[in-house]
Amino acid sequence: MAHSTITPLVQEERETLRSFIADQLGRGNLDLPLLPVVANRVLLLSSDPDADASKLSSLIQQDQALAGQILRIANSPAYATRTPIVSLQQAITWLGLTMLAGLAFSVSVQSGVFHTTGYEKEVRKLWRHALATGLFGKEIARRIRHNVENAFLCGLLHTIGKPAILHLLSQSRDQSAEPFSWTTVESLFEEFHVMAGSKLATVWQLPDPVQETIRYYQDDQYHQGLSPTKGAMITCLAHHLASILLGDSMHDENSLLTLPVVQDLNFYPEDMTALLELRETVKASVECFLP
Amino acid sequence: MTSPTPFDLIVIGSGPAGQKAAIQGAKAGKRVALIEQTREVGGACVYQGTIPSKTLRESALQMVRFLQATEVFEFRMRDDVKITSLMTRLDRVVRAHGKFMKDQLTRNGIDCFHGRAGFVSDQEVRIQKIDGTAALVTAPIIIIATGSRPRVPDNIPIDHEHILDSDSILSLVYLPKSLTVLGGGVIASEYASIFALLGVHVTMIDTADRPLKFLDQELTDEFCEAFEKTGGHYRGGQKIGTVQWDGYSKVTTVLESGETLESEKVLVALGRVSNLEHLNLQATGIHPTTRGLIPVNNHCQTTVPHIYAVGDVIGPPSLASCSMEQGRRAVCHALGLNSGVAPEHIPMGIYTIPEMSSVGLSEQEATAKYGGATVGRARFHEIARGQISGMTNGLLKMVADPKGEQLLGIHIVGEGATELIHIGQMGLLHNMPIDRFIDNIFNFPTLAETYRVAALDIAKQRQH
Repeated sequence: MAHSTITPLVQEERETLRSFIADQLGRGNLDLPLLPVVANRVLLLSSDPDADASKLSSLIQQDQALAGQILRIANSPAYATRTPIVSLQQAITWLGLTMLAGLAFSVSVQSGVFHTTGYEKEVRKLWRHALATGLFGKEIARRIRHNVENAFLCGLLHTIGKPAILHLLSQSRDQSAEPFSWTTVESLFEEFHVMAGSKLATVWQLPDPVQETIRYYQDDQYHQGLSPTKGAMITCLAHHLASILLGDSMHDENSLLTLPVVQDLNFYPEDMTALLELRETVKASVECFLP
Repeated sequence: MTSPTPFDLIVIGSGPAGQKAAIQGAKAGKRVALIEQTREVGGACVYQGTIPSKTLRESALQMVRFLQATEVFEFRMRDDVKITSLMTRLDRVVRAHGKFMKDQLTRNGIDCFHGRAGFVSDQEVRIQKIDGTAALVTAPIIIIATGSRPRVPDNIPIDHEHILDSDSILSLVYLPKSLTVLGGGVIASEYASIFALLGVHVTMIDTADRPLKFLDQELTDEFCEAFEKTGGHYRGGQKIGTVQWDGYSKVTTVLESGETLESEKVLVALGRVSNLEHLNLQATGIHPTTRGLIPVNNHCQTTVPHIYAVGDVIGPPSLASCSMEQGRRAVCHALGLNSGVAPEHIPMGIYTIPEMSSVGLSEQEATAKYGGATVGRARFHEIARGQISGMTNGLLKMVADPKGEQLLGIHIVGEGATELIHIGQMGLLHNMPIDRFIDNIFNFPTLAETYRVAALDIAKQRQH
């Protein structure tokens, strides 16, 4: 019975926030954060054919926190070499340019771009999910012989709209006030994260396939993706696999087989079994990047 | 599972061979089931092979022509033209071709099944569908046309990210600075020349002393010269030791000689293998050869007389053009229909830059068969059309008997070679004497003139 008194309040709060976000997203001069200089340059460097480890290493060195994170990841059990990683250039050599560029971008965005005070635990979960989606995306792309590097970046950034919404919400409340309920926030994600992500992707001038993925990665939308890299379709399935891995999916392994995206990717049951067998590898990578 | 659905003909695989087999069966009034494991019909030819590589080649050529035109018309192209622009066009062409093929099958009333086919017996096939369910079909005649895929050598860790095969090379979203191509065959040579033209530093490595060794050496010499002009290198007589991604920016290829080559990406094009693994051939009594091919007779009939195999699964020549004809003829034979005269003088087209094409006997084959050969040559730059089109390289080589009277073979390298070859093919089919090329009139200015020039070259030698 207690619900009868609480529900209208939650509903009212949601409606107020809904109007605020809709208004913000509808405005031309949307107050979304700027991409940090380092993250922006890392992203540009990752698609620069002249990029090399020394360039990336000197760029990452400009951000002390980022450099520390990279070294920690490179020395973590999932990636550890026989000899300890002691320099950034060595870390880049070991992790790989593309993966490191994507992760450096992600870490940089997580740590400094969005105001998400009060939701630290939840935001961490969001990034873990995004990373798992990127890693599964790589494996899906490998199986269908599509671009692996692109699939990783698409997966990593497909729900960038969610922290962006939290950032907007933080502007609507007094910083000393209690955070809004996570249930309310999630319902706002559901409604607005694609729109917010698309706006952010445009402002940040993310690569075209990533922008398309942010817009169309969902089950009822991926068929609208026109990019030959099939980023939206690959990310759609990767998103489901990441949800199962992290225990927040409405699907189980069997019901996953009935998803239209599985059929559209032409994945037979044995192909799905092979993908699901990679769970532990993906999980280990997620743990070492975002423990 | 319910009882099997009966058909008159089952075709497994919808590539060029399977598609033509199915259509021939339908045109003969038979009820045909066509089973394809991918969602789209057309096979690797449409989605990973012939159509995409030729479209990419055409886009690359158009881009280069456009770049050349900027000098004449004084405009600039963006410096950052992306490979994705080329690939987007490719995607459009592939989709259009796939739709055309699907419509053709529908028009002919063919029942298409999406699933993996596996034999239950020599007349019954199980279709494993993508959702895990299955269906059974049966027919007195079955055609296997499951095609092939790139071979993965045991010692090369293809990851489709840094070390690619001829399927995953099409997924590149940017042009690498450098590319090592392992192999010296058709696919290796085609992609090597396309990427070299696009400005990638390409090195081809193979055991043979020259690429495409089965072709006339004058053709491959011209190809190598053009390839080198675009910055490519061919390293013959080399065996590959190891190939390894160094972890961040380059792949290291170590040759057995100990030499090391570094490149941003590696393309492995060391042959193809037949797609037999899901077929459960044991249920039919057919035994593949040690090379993984299905053995057939001249009618593409396997050791089980009512089961035929066509296309890449039976091995060379593995040309889409031949596979189509094999599919059609196999069904005609199975149904007791007249399939017409067996094709002779099948032309071979290689879509390198420049193109190469060949039909009939080579100079070496003619010499072996007739104790000698007379050879006439015409270079494209000596022909008005070649000059107009700015063709600096290109050669038509005409092979005749020792007396220089009878046409035996035509070999062409240069743009348009795969089209130009058909004049020679018709000449061979009609046993045309060399003088027929001299006595007749060709459009002017056209590259067809090369036939006349080469024939005159032969006639000149006859007089001495």
